[in-house]
This record gives sequence, C-alpha cells and structure tokens, in this order.
Amino acid sequence: MTLTAAIYLFGGLTALATLLMIFERDPVKAAMLMLAALLSTAGLYLAFSAQLLAALQIILYAGAIMTLFIVAITVTPAAWRDTRTARPAGAVRLKARTLGLAAAAVILAELLKVSAGVKTVTFSPEFSETGTLDLARLLFGRFAFQFELLSLVILAAIVAAVALAAKRKEAQ
Amino acid sequence: MSAYSLSALAFVLFSLAAAGFLTCGSLVRMLMFLELMLNAANIALVTLGPETVSQAYVVMLFAIAAAEAGVGLALIITLASVFKTLEAGNIRELKG
Repeated sequence: MTLTAAIYLFGGLTALATLLMIFERDPVKAAMLMLAALLSTAGLYLAFSAQLLAALQIILYAGAIMTLFIVAITVTPAAWRDTRTARPAGAVRLKARTLGLAAAAVILAELLKVSAGVKTVTFSPEFSETGTLDLARLLFGRFAFQFELLSLVILAAIVAAVALAAKRKEAQ
Repeated sequence: MSAYSLSALAFVLFSLAAAGFLTCGSLVRMLMFLELMLNAANIALVTLGPETVSQAYVVMLFAIAAAEAGVGLALIITLASVFKTLEAGNIRELKG
C-alpha cells in the first residue's frame, strides 16, 4: 500500500515537473525543474525496489548530466539565450505549439493502445532486498560483451566532444 | 495495481517530454526534453520488463544517455558559437 502510494506520488511529481518545464521560460529554472523530475524518478526506482538504479540515477542523471546542462547554459552568452527577439510571430508560434501538442497526444494514444495487452497483468509492489549481485552477474556475465562495447561508445563520445571543442578554438 | 497503469505512467511522462521537445525552439531545451524522454523509456523498461534483465538494460542506457548528452551539448555549443543563436528556427544553413 505504501509502495503503491509512493509510486503514484513520485510519478505525479515527475509529471508535474515536466509539465512546468514546458511553460518555464528561464533556462536555469527549467534545468532545476528537470533536476526535480530526475530526482523524483530516483524515488520511483526506489519504490520499484531497484536501489542500484536509484543511486545511479542520482549520480549520473541528477549529478553528471545536470552539471553538463548547467555548464552549457552558463557558457553560452546571455544574448543568445534571450530568445524573445528571435521568435516567429504569435500566430505561427501558436500553430507550431498546437501541432506539437497534437503530435504528443497522438503518440500517447497510440502507446496506450499498444499496451492494452498488459491490462490483465497485475503488479503488486513489494519491498525486496537489492538485486545488485544478480545485476552484476548479468552485466559481467551474460552481457559482458555489450557492457564492454559501451566503454567504446563513451570513448567515441569523449573524442567527438574534444574534437568539436578543438575545431571551435581553431575557428576563433 | 495493474501493469497497465504503471506503463501508462511511463507513457504519460514520455508524451509530456515529447510535447516539450516538439513545442520549444531552444536547442538546449530540446536536448533536456530528449533526456527526459529517455528517462521515461527507462521507467517503462523497469516497470514492464523482467526484473534483473531490464535493470541491466537500464544501467547500459544510463551510459548511452551520458554519452549522448556530452556529444549533444558539444554540438550545441559549437553551433551556438557559429550561428550566434540557440534557436533551432534560426539555423537555416547546413554549412557550419
């Protein structure tokens, strides 16, 4: 019962933070709302008894990725962030927003239609001991190759980011 | 509680993030909503998949998300310094 309430609470908080983020104009405030959404997701993982995922969510998403976003917002000059002058006319913007919202509604309707098959499956959340050992056995056993491939992905991402930054320096 | 309501929660989060992605014009904001879409996909994976295997996938997706955010922000900062704008609508040339 408590876990079900926690799932709805954290799920609602995440949805609320995402909704407020859409209407927030200040990018720093939007980043803070995103942080709230990510932390609520960590709470959601805890309610699902996925303790390792909750810890990784806080360290990776709420820590590392959010820091990247804040740095990106900080290093771009304020004049470029001020979007009000560059925006299209009101009618065009309204049309674009309506189309965007309609597209999102269609995505939601289709996803709900597709997942109608799980309506009969019941889910009773129960608090369980952390399955970190099983997870480690999977990551370093069955999924060892995929897990090692990920290090290549991250290496490629680091090289790409450094190459892009170096190119910018040369251009200046 | 049915698995359907849990998947509906993940799908609502995904759609909200998709709505934000489709309606905002700023590149940094679009990347933020992209991360939230990936976050919602992670939640769907945890709620609908088999317990340990889906959690292993989510751990791997965390690494993908970190790599994606790093490259995406490097691209955005480079684009912003070339075009002097962060609005996607103002970037009309392919040549950088």
